[in-house]
Formats: sequence, C-alpha cells, structure tokens
Amino acid sequence: MKFGLFFELSTPRPFTTETQRMVFENAIEQTVLADELGFASAWCVEHHFLEEYSHSSCPDMFLTALARETKHIRLGFGIGTCVPAMHSPIRWAEKAAFLDMLSNGRVEFGTGRSSTWNELGGFQANVDETKRTWDEYCRVIPKMWTEERFSHQGTYFNMPERCVLPKPVQDPHPPLWVAVTAPGTELDAADRGMGAIILSISDVERVVPRINEYRERIKTCEPVGSFVNNQLAIANWMFCHEDKDYATEKGYELVAEFGYMAGQTVEISEAYPANNYSAIGLLGTLRPDPNAPGDKKEPPASGLCFGDPAHLITTIKRWEEAGVDQIIFMVQAREHLPQAEVLASMRLFASEVMPHFIDAGASEVRRA
Amino acid sequence: MSKPELLYGERVPADFGQPGNPLNFGDRSTVELTEVEIFYSLFELPMDVAIARLPKSLHPSIPAVMATNFWHGREGPFGEFNLATVALACRTGIKPRHLIIGSWCDNPAAAQFFRERYGFNCQAAAIQCRESFERVVGRIVVDDKTILETVGTEFLPIVSGGGSVKYSPPLNLTVIDGQAMLAQFEAGYSFKRVLRGSANNPIFNAREIGDDAIQPTTPIAGTLAVCDVHLLPVRFQVDLTVPAEAGGASKIGGK
Repeated sequence: MKFGLFFELSTPRPFTTETQRMVFENAIEQTVLADELGFASAWCVEHHFLEEYSHSSCPDMFLTALARETKHIRLGFGIGTCVPAMHSPIRWAEKAAFLDMLSNGRVEFGTGRSSTWNELGGFQANVDETKRTWDEYCRVIPKMWTEERFSHQGTYFNMPERCVLPKPVQDPHPPLWVAVTAPGTELDAADRGMGAIILSISDVERVVPRINEYRERIKTCEPVGSFVNNQLAIANWMFCHEDKDYATEKGYELVAEFGYMAGQTVEISEAYPANNYSAIGLLGTLRPDPNAPGDKKEPPASGLCFGDPAHLITTIKRWEEAGVDQIIFMVQAREHLPQAEVLASMRLFASEVMPHFIDAGASEVRRA
Repeated sequence: MSKPELLYGERVPADFGQPGNPLNFGDRSTVELTEVEIFYSLFELPMDVAIARLPKSLHPSIPAVMATNFWHGREGPFGEFNLATVALACRTGIKPRHLIIGSWCDNPAAAQFFRERYGFNCQAAAIQCRESFERVVGRIVVDDKTILETVGTEFLPIVSGGGSVKYSPPLNLTVIDGQAMLAQFEAGYSFKRVLRGSANNPIFNAREIGDDAIQPTTPIAGTLAVCDVHLLPVRFQVDLTVPAEAGGASKIGGK
C-alpha cells in the first residue's frame, strides 16, 4: 500500500492575490513535507472555470514547482484532459516528458475527459466525442514518447512526421493512468493496460467488485503503452488526530466544504444528456439525484480516513484487503483547516499509520 | 483566516411580490400521468442576472443557467393539458433546483391542481409542444401574442444510463403556514424515450415572461422525453429569509 496527496487547489472567495497564493504555497508546503515523510505521490487535477472548487488549470506548472522542491515523491497528472478543444496530444506528450526531465523521472501520467458543462461548454468542446478523443490520445501519446519520429492520421488528430521532444527520462515512458468516476471506466483502463484512479468517494465494499473486474480484465488487455500499469489507486479524504471525535468532526467539515463547492457546478449529466456520460461524475456523486424525490442523503462512505491512528489503520487495512495499491488523500478543502493542523495530521499519519503498511513510501512503479 | 465569502442570491424577500394562494395539503396521494412529453431546454445567462434574482437562501449554479420547459400530457385525471415554465437554476445545499420565474397552463383543471398542490401560478395561455420529423417546437401564446418560442433540432436518441434526463425540482413562491415560502415540486419519472439536441429561442419576450432582465445567452441543450410522471406531495420548503449557509431546504412540518 502506498499513499499520496491529491490537490484540487480549492480557493475561498474572495479571489484575492493573497488568498490564491496562500492556497498554492500551502499545497507546495504540504508536498514538501509529504516528500520528507515518505508519501509516494502528489497528484494535481486539471480543472477550468470551477470557481472555488478548483483553481488548478495548469497542473503541469504546479507539478513542475513541486519537482524542484522535492526529491523522491512521484508527480501525477490527475488528470490531463484529453479533449482537442483544450489540448493537443502533442502538447501533453511534451509537457509530461518535460516534467519527467525536470523531476528526473518521477511522472505519473493520468488521463481523462472532464465531466462538467462548466469546462466542456466553456471550451465549446464536442461533448459527444470526448470518450473517443480520450481513447485516441491514450494511443498516440506513448508513441510520441517512444518513437524517435512519429506521424499519425487518425479520427480526431493528425500530424505529419515529427520528433516530439523532449523524450521522457523513464524508460520506456511514464506510467499511464485513467481517472475513473463513472463505474465501468475502470474496465476501459484495464482494456488498455492503464492504471485506474477511482475518484468517486465510496464504501470499501462497493468498490470491491470493480477492483476484481479490473484485475481480471487487465490480464487480457491490449496495452496502449509499452507496458501494463496494473495499479489501482483510490481518492480519499484524510484527517488524522489523536482525538478521534475531533478528527471525525473536522473530516466531515472538509467533506461539507467540498460538497458546497462541487454543488454549484453544472454536471454534464445534468445539463447535456449524452450517451458517453451515462453516469454522474465525481462532483455529482456528492449530490442527491435531482430526480429523486425529497432530499434524502446517502450515508457517509465507510472508507473515509478520518479519525485517530488506530481507526485509520483499521480503515486502510480494509482498502488493502480489497486490493487497492494506493490511496491518494485530499487533506484540505477551501483552506478550511489551518495549515498547521493539516501538517500535523500528515506527520501523525506518517509516524503512527504508515509504518503498519509495507511499501508505504515512494517506490518503483509496479509493472505487471 | 477569516470566514470565506459564499456565493448566493441577493434578492430581498420584498422584491418577490405577493405569493399566490396558500398550498392545499389536503390530497397526499400520488397522481399518475402516463406518457407525458417533456421538452426541456437549458441556456446560460449572465451570472449577475442570476444572483440578482435569487434569494439569499439559494446559491446560483455556475455557470448561471435557465430552463424553458413544456409538458404535454395526454392522459391522466385532467385529460389533455399543456404546462410551460421558465426557471432559473439554483442550489440549496448540494441539490440542484430551479426557481420558477413564470408558469402557464392551458387546462383549467390542471392549472388548479398544479397551483394548489405545488404553487405554480399557471397563467392562462395557449401552449403548444409539437414534435415533427426534424424539430420540436414549444410555444406560449398569451392574448394572441407569442411570448416564448423554443425550438429544438438535431435530436439524437439517448439510450445509455437508462436514457434519462435530470430534471431539477422547481421551486414556486407560495404561502405555507401564512408565510411566503418556496415550495418544492415533487415528482418521479419513468422514462420511455429520450432525445437530445440543440435548442434556441426565436421568441423570448422577457417582460411578458415575468422578468425584463432575463435573457438566455449560450444554448446548452434541448431534450425531448416521453415518460410516466408520478406527481408526489410537496414535502420541502425553502425560506426566502434564511441565508444559504444556514439553511437550505427544510421539511414542511407535519404535512
């Protein structure tokens, strides 16, 4: 079991220079500490126009800042959006390789396609085609890294023969991942030999069938990259404190903050029914179904990591037994917790919880 | 750091005008409507306009969104009817809702039902919701003047994920326990057919619709669904005076 951090760079109003810089600098400080404590990874989302929820429009730049402040921690795109209106696949190949160079081979390349009208509508992207464009991007980007010169005539992307530069440090290339919000996308990851980052916060028991299906399916995959990245990571919340009740209270305050921010966005499934968005995205998983009568709320997920060290050890053991390779923690929301408390929580987690799990620190990429 | 600011409506309760008649909580049964055609279209509008029209108990959606909605019911307790609404997307807590700006109905019995049970004001109007081979047209005509025409085109079938549309529950200004309140419409939907396409408004007479300032800008999508609708009793209210961060929707006591 490995542990990582997951950054949305959520920012409270008003969006002053001081506030925005504080969010960015605090996240960097958390990562530097995580690197010292033996956390394995730091992931940064790509989002656009998501007021308060995420001001992380340029994850490559944030990760580059982290690269120069840290020594061991791996740096994950969580994710790079594979939508032509936002990025060319050439630019993703270049940026990831560039970061791999500046970090001396610490890049994890997560892919995805966005699930909000805020973003896809804002870029006037073709919503109906995002799954297909994501698929084509996943197939061409590794080739841009590994082939000296690359050309492509595809459905959504063409390029004449060029040498895409720089080439990554990691041989043959950084591990490939897919962000999974809708159930079933983990199978898309498995079919392509890619790691799955399950972003929908959930109960351990509900995720187990998806994990098992992923492991089974990836045995017969046709990898889009040069190797199979048979890894399952799950996003989660974490607040660790000696006082279990206090930790739980603060933890659910973080969830409430996140829910408030996420609730204001406009999910694709809410605004633009589409056959390639048959399930609600991450943000939508936090809301009651608009079509469901009343205001019934789902009970809190059973696998959240709020509590004292003993409680977290028990909870993480359940995730480990379920087959999860890595838990990626969100430790802050809209700067709700004082930075000192976030750092103290991380230190306590590292000293009291991490030693109970083998391979907790930064390690070589597992390759099936 | 100091408590962060929240984004919520700025309209004071006095600006909402007089609510309609008090809700009638007498009949708590579920009313079934079979094979209702629902032509539902979403558009963006300027955020400043949305914030100025929502009470402080509601957050806007980001981006600001408004909806035109046409129901054509053929069977049910009222016989054939058309109901049309224009609404502003909003949130209480984390649940999407729509604040009704105006509503119209062409069947007096249906109008009375929707007015008394849910607080729709249901102005009398001639309403059309017509599907042809390549478009759907929704139209509201008041005193021989078309005040809203929404046209949907380029429709494709939506089959995955159960083939459904997420309808945010409308909120109507009404009177509950003698106090002006927003009452939440309650319904369940069993979808039989869903199409999605583009939508635009060739005619949008904001003044006649009920608010001069509301003008749709960027179209998002239009949907046409055929579904059985299960009309449920009202259960939730939103107090215009309770700040969003302190409240949201609350259950109507004892009803």
